[in-house]
Amino acid sequence: MAEEKNRKVKIAEKILDKNDLMAAVNRELLSAKGIFSINLISSPGAGKTTILEYMAGYFGPRMAVIEGDIQTRRDAERVERAGCPAVQIETGGACHLDALAVKKALESIDLDAENLDLLAIENVGNLICPSGYDLGENMKIGLLSVPEGDDKVMKYPSLFSTVDVFLINKIDLAPYLDFDVDRAIEECRNMNPDVTVFTLSAKTGEGMDDFCIFLESNFH
Amino acid sequence: MHEMTLAQDMIRIIERTLGGKVRLERVNVTIGPLAGISGESLRFCFTEIARLEDFGEPELTINYTKARLLCLDCREEYSSDDLFHCCPRCGSIRKRVLSGREFTVDSVELEEGEEPDG
Repeated sequence: MAEEKNRKVKIAEKILDKNDLMAAVNRELLSAKGIFSINLISSPGAGKTTILEYMAGYFGPRMAVIEGDIQTRRDAERVERAGCPAVQIETGGACHLDALAVKKALESIDLDAENLDLLAIENVGNLICPSGYDLGENMKIGLLSVPEGDDKVMKYPSLFSTVDVFLINKIDLAPYLDFDVDRAIEECRNMNPDVTVFTLSAKTGEGMDDFCIFLESNFH
Repeated sequence: MHEMTLAQDMIRIIERTLGGKVRLERVNVTIGPLAGISGESLRFCFTEIARLEDFGEPELTINYTKARLLCLDCREEYSSDDLFHCCPRCGSIRKRVLSGREFTVDSVELEEGEEPDG
């Protein structure tokens, strides 16, 4: 019997401990440099990069961007053209960013640049996998676009129950589609009572300045 | 989708704890309903990786926990694996999530005759 018992080894370790430790390093580094950071999560095509292009126009060199994609530098190029420095992470298949990938990307950004206030991290387009990985950001933002349907909030609770900010993008399409904005907001607040919500359209600019001003209010 | 990465992380944790590659009979993990992890997918990935990396053919036993929720209307604390569920006391759907994102390796059981290296 004693031998049986000895064959069991207790571990009791969080599998994402290593990631969380690295995230804490990132958070401390950014905080020491006076940089506020956001982690933008949505499904592919919800408009993350278009939102960042608008923000690049608003913030200019006050913002730097880390772009996470499975492949191509296209998003980083779009954001650079829109007016702010960007680093591309090509995950080569991985469906999410982790804190180590962000730490490496931070080495390519001039964190001492004058006026740099905001680091925006665009996660890989995916509503599930990125939700478990702390990157060291100050604010986690979940983005849903009107064509995806208002039911996605309750379908992806591991994301929408944890986000600090809930963005509903492509609001200019609301008159043509069945997306119930009130229902989406209510369902998000039902499980995440402190969430801040913005409805906006990165394409027309509707609501975008309000969102940018809100971000600014969090800068040091 | 990210279960393969998580399975690799699990193997590294086990290897570090045991001080090397040891043939395993069973691995016990806990998964919360809001961890965003498919248990069946993890089982498939972990079993494959364990075999390829010489950790034997361990069975993965998953302890699925429930989320702890706080009703925002009557302040009742209750457990559920589904955020659609309403408060058992007052029926309100409004809640704050207190826990439910756990994902831990709890313990491993070694094959007969195996011993930790460390």
